[in-house]
Amino acid sequence: MSKAILSILGRDRPGIVAAVSRVLCEQSCNIENVSQTMLQTEFAGIFIVSMPAGMSAAELHRTLESRLSPLALTVHTKPCEHGEAPGTAASEPFVITTRGPDRKGLVADISEVIARHGVNITHLQAVFKGGEEPGDNIMIYEVDVPHAVDVQALAAELRTRARSLQLDLILQHRNIFEALHRI
Amino acid sequence: MLTQREILSTLEMLKNEHLDVRTVTLGVNLLDCAGGDLPQVRRRVAERILGLAGNLVPVCDRIGQKYGIPVVNKRIAVSPLAVVGAALAPEELVELARTLDAVAREVHVDFIGGFSALVEKGLARGDRSLIEAIPEALSVTDRVCASVNVASTRAGINMDAVLRMGRSVKRAAELTAERDGAACTKLCIFANIPEDIPFMAGAYLGIGEADAVINVGVSGPGVVKKAIDRALKSDPAMDLGGLSELIKKTSYRVTRVGELIGREVAESLGIRFGVVDLSLAPTPNVGDSVGEIFQSLGLRAIGVPGTTAALALLNDAVKKGGAFASSRVGGLSGAFIPVSEDLNISEAAGNGLLCLEKLEAITSVCSVGLDMVAIPGDTTAETIAAIIADEMAIGVVNNKTTAARLIPVPGKRAGDKAFFGGLMGHSTIIPVNNGGGENRFIRRGGLIPAPIHSLRN
Repeated sequence: MSKAILSILGRDRPGIVAAVSRVLCEQSCNIENVSQTMLQTEFAGIFIVSMPAGMSAAELHRTLESRLSPLALTVHTKPCEHGEAPGTAASEPFVITTRGPDRKGLVADISEVIARHGVNITHLQAVFKGGEEPGDNIMIYEVDVPHAVDVQALAAELRTRARSLQLDLILQHRNIFEALHRI
Repeated sequence: MLTQREILSTLEMLKNEHLDVRTVTLGVNLLDCAGGDLPQVRRRVAERILGLAGNLVPVCDRIGQKYGIPVVNKRIAVSPLAVVGAALAPEELVELARTLDAVAREVHVDFIGGFSALVEKGLARGDRSLIEAIPEALSVTDRVCASVNVASTRAGINMDAVLRMGRSVKRAAELTAERDGAACTKLCIFANIPEDIPFMAGAYLGIGEADAVINVGVSGPGVVKKAIDRALKSDPAMDLGGLSELIKKTSYRVTRVGELIGREVAESLGIRFGVVDLSLAPTPNVGDSVGEIFQSLGLRAIGVPGTTAALALLNDAVKKGGAFASSRVGGLSGAFIPVSEDLNISEAAGNGLLCLEKLEAITSVCSVGLDMVAIPGDTTAETIAAIIADEMAIGVVNNKTTAARLIPVPGKRAGDKAFFGGLMGHSTIIPVNNGGGENRFIRRGGLIPAPIHSLRN
């Protein structure tokens, strides 16, 4: 059975998930994973679906596009490749948090250091309201740090980079948040 | 995926509310180091501690860094030296204290506890020697802490030991007169001492403990205070039931952090994890104070009417939240009220709102007792012993731990300031009723029998 990955973008309003899933159901596609979020006023959803025998991703795309474009939703579809996801090597989950004045290129600069150490970002949340108020400009990277990576070296380099950007940065193992907030 | 709120509130606790692990304390069993002459005992004790504690500080620092939570103090607690050094003379025990001090310095721990004796039912030869050695041992060392358990609910109060300790406290202060009697800041006299306290000055490794153990003391008065402030800001009508619930939840969080870090340190060192001590332990910093919690709860200051009830609420909520967070709870577990170590409590003592009698009253509902209380230097040994006896009686009758850490500051009077430095802080000296007077009751000695356990009123 082949799979496809779809991304749906559009101005948020009630009924988007219902519309997309209705089409998928009618096409006998099975939803395996969905992640949906809202950034400011925009809806963004990613679906991984398994398609019935004989259906191609291109065919599914055409159906979705014809049904969803009247709703002003943009659809992107591609075949979903099998294989091991990055970051499944033995690793430890860490969280990098930064606060500081808004500048251009903050995400690019911090994520460059993360990438260079071979560390995969699993979730990224960033809010930049602009201005100099540190609490208004926050980046939260959830990352998987492979065991082979020297955490201390990564932390030191991240802090150096953060200092040059006037950011306050902290790298912490994820378990501390679990311990503090979850039973 | 973690929520933004979870992450940001964690950072807030770290940056602005002094969330930390107050101490990771390595317990080291020295019982098999006993026997032979002093050089042999010293060598065996040093080798045992160095063998186990060599990596304690770097491991705590590494794990603290991993979680972004500082482990503020790394400490060692050893078997009671009155047992290990039972065959030694007092001057030899002072030399053994020097060995502990040197070893503590070598492994970079700030305090080492266990210059201790357990004498609630009677004084053995080793106990007498150790108690005699305490004043000098504490004045010639920087890092050695002493504790003596003089009472228990099962045994009663050993008043002979109480009187000896009154004299020990007085002598220790005199030997460190130029430092406001600082040796006394390292000496605790207990009723019902737990075997697994990670906090100083009362930490020692109990006789029933294993070869080595890691115990953790959490902190968190700042976190509790800010949680109360935030809750009352969003709901000014919140009642005390609601506040108790809030403190419980906050204590849960703080305890989980201690347990997480303690277990990992223990695993890294290949040593058994012992307990988390759920205490709210203040430091002499603004925002890290148990005293400020009373003000957040609505009292003018610790010491005014309502204080005992507020502390009862606080202590109980801390225990309930902590007990849910960890299945390995021990030590003192509750709220500490060390006068000089808590800026806010020290101020209350300074402006007369907190007196010795009220302090004694609230120790019936707090986790320890008369802690870091500076009293006039002319208070007699007998009166000091009498204060200790009163504090012991509260513990014995109420089946709880109580302790006295009193500092009769040489040459200073009530109202003067005493400075102990660092974590020990500073305090206004509070007056003692009949401080210089005679006390024939204390001189009678003997044993105050164990209390009856029925007919509880």
